[in-house]
Amino acid sequence: MMILKMKKEDLSTFLDAVKEWGELWGPTKKDGKVSFSKVDSLSQMDLKATRTIIPPKKFLYPPRFTMFDFDENGYVERTGDVPKRILFGIHPCDIHGVVIMDKLFLETYNDPYYRERREKTLLLGHSCIPDEKCMCIATDTDFIAEGFDLFFTDLKMSYLVWVGSTKGHDLIRMKPELFSRALDKSDILNYTAYRKWKNTQYKTMVDFTGMPDIFELGYSSQVWDKLGDKCLSCGQCSMVCPTCNCYNVVDDVELGSIEGTRDRFWDSCMFREYSLVAGGHNFREKRADRLRLWYTHKLQAYIGEFGKPACVGCGRCVATCPVDINVVTVADALKEQEVGK
Amino acid sequence: MTRQSPKVGVYGFTGCAGDQLMILNCEDQLVDLFGATEIRSFLMAKSDNHEGELDVAFVEGSISTDHQEKKLKDIRARSKVLIAIGGCACVGGPQAMMVGDGKWEERFKKVYGNAKITVAKPNEAKPIDAIVKVDIYIPGCPIDKSEFLNAVSKLVAGKHPYLYQFPVCNECRWKENPCILYAGKFCGGPLTKAGCGAICPTLGLPCVGCWGPTDDLNVTSEYQLLKEKGYDPDEVMKKLRKFGGAKLAELVKDIEKKGAKA
Repeated sequence: MMILKMKKEDLSTFLDAVKEWGELWGPTKKDGKVSFSKVDSLSQMDLKATRTIIPPKKFLYPPRFTMFDFDENGYVERTGDVPKRILFGIHPCDIHGVVIMDKLFLETYNDPYYRERREKTLLLGHSCIPDEKCMCIATDTDFIAEGFDLFFTDLKMSYLVWVGSTKGHDLIRMKPELFSRALDKSDILNYTAYRKWKNTQYKTMVDFTGMPDIFELGYSSQVWDKLGDKCLSCGQCSMVCPTCNCYNVVDDVELGSIEGTRDRFWDSCMFREYSLVAGGHNFREKRADRLRLWYTHKLQAYIGEFGKPACVGCGRCVATCPVDINVVTVADALKEQEVGK
Repeated sequence: MTRQSPKVGVYGFTGCAGDQLMILNCEDQLVDLFGATEIRSFLMAKSDNHEGELDVAFVEGSISTDHQEKKLKDIRARSKVLIAIGGCACVGGPQAMMVGDGKWEERFKKVYGNAKITVAKPNEAKPIDAIVKVDIYIPGCPIDKSEFLNAVSKLVAGKHPYLYQFPVCNECRWKENPCILYAGKFCGGPLTKAGCGAICPTLGLPCVGCWGPTDDLNVTSEYQLLKEKGYDPDEVMKKLRKFGGAKLAELVKDIEKKGAKA
């Protein structure tokens, strides 16, 4: 991995130049909505916005999209209509989220729809300032070493730019004069100071160590029933979680014909219908069972399989659940054996 | 591959007829719709109607008289598939918001006084599944054109329609809206079936629940939450019941027994 240095004021020029590769997208804030939007230039972005409502998974795996068109002779994949996009301003937690999605959609099972979007999307990360809901320090996702094409660390006077891929390097080569390889002692000191400072900014204190054991011990805990009584089954937690990846598949047909489309849309194990099978049996009829599945998956099962939690500490569940059920309150409830108010 | 066009009937009972109107409002697809199906009876659309065996009956409106009850049973007896369209048929509609409170006769008297009703014997409004078996529910007040057309297209192709079972919140997040309920304001989203595309929250307005209750709602938790946020319990109950009909009335019984003010 190569690290370059760039003057702060050159960022705008750089982003204008790389637009030649594809559409430029970045975090924007409009009417209280923080989202990744298509922009013309850096000036339209809000780099201070901590978290978008929906993580960047929406680019790699849209909420609802058509996979293919079918008729009586077979089917034709809907590929090729995905635009090339550059996402600027993605934070380390969200890049960690994409790395997890990559594992699920590209390794054992190759998902062609995800792959096409992933290959046409460049991730240009940006350092961030944690707010009161961030807890990436507890999930070890506060810094990132893989999964991005470029990563910009803001050191006040200049950017340190990590080059994470050859595609990222190609972007650098579109404006090589803006980057310097001459890093000196002050850059190292500034970067070390930034890391130290970032570590002091967290306000949500949560300890996820030992979570697999605590989940195992608490499998039959009455805490789940209490949480189940509160849960609204609205499914928002799944929609906003950077690592939730479940989907449903449905066919639509043209009126009076058997030609149609097969669509895929985001689903959630929090919904009753999710675990409903033919014959009317439901594996997780109780809301408490659904909640337990969700949290066990994030903080126990995933650790068992991949060595780290499927929580990237982004705080979106904390910033979304109307009844205050999130990774922090659930972990606390299991540990304390009491559901907080 | 050709299939015989299914014989279809469209019927309306107590309601605003908005769902039947929405079918007629499918202007771009109306020719296809009438081409792909054999519309045997649709009083709002045509005068030449024939009552007989049907493949599919679409029924709008709640059941409010003994006469309607008899007519509905007759439609059921001669239809292979019966589909409830719109909030009134699905759950009873706004006219059923107070259903089961034991004060229907009092309200009836307040409106009609001592007038003698001769056309039929009036009853408290009920959803159609209180009388007959319903195969498919297409919710909405009024129904959504594309949900209706998707369902019809599937039926014509001999497939089972799929309608969203999850709450409005799901579609609302797809639209990247901030959660209204999280902000401490009333929103009926978690209790309400999706399919509307979360139009209201996308425009910054709370969900009023016009798609009717989902099959898996936690009304007790939402009620508690709104009470904690400082809402007047009676007001909350009114808002929740507006489009919730008989189904919600059943679910809030326990809350009301414990006393809304408690």
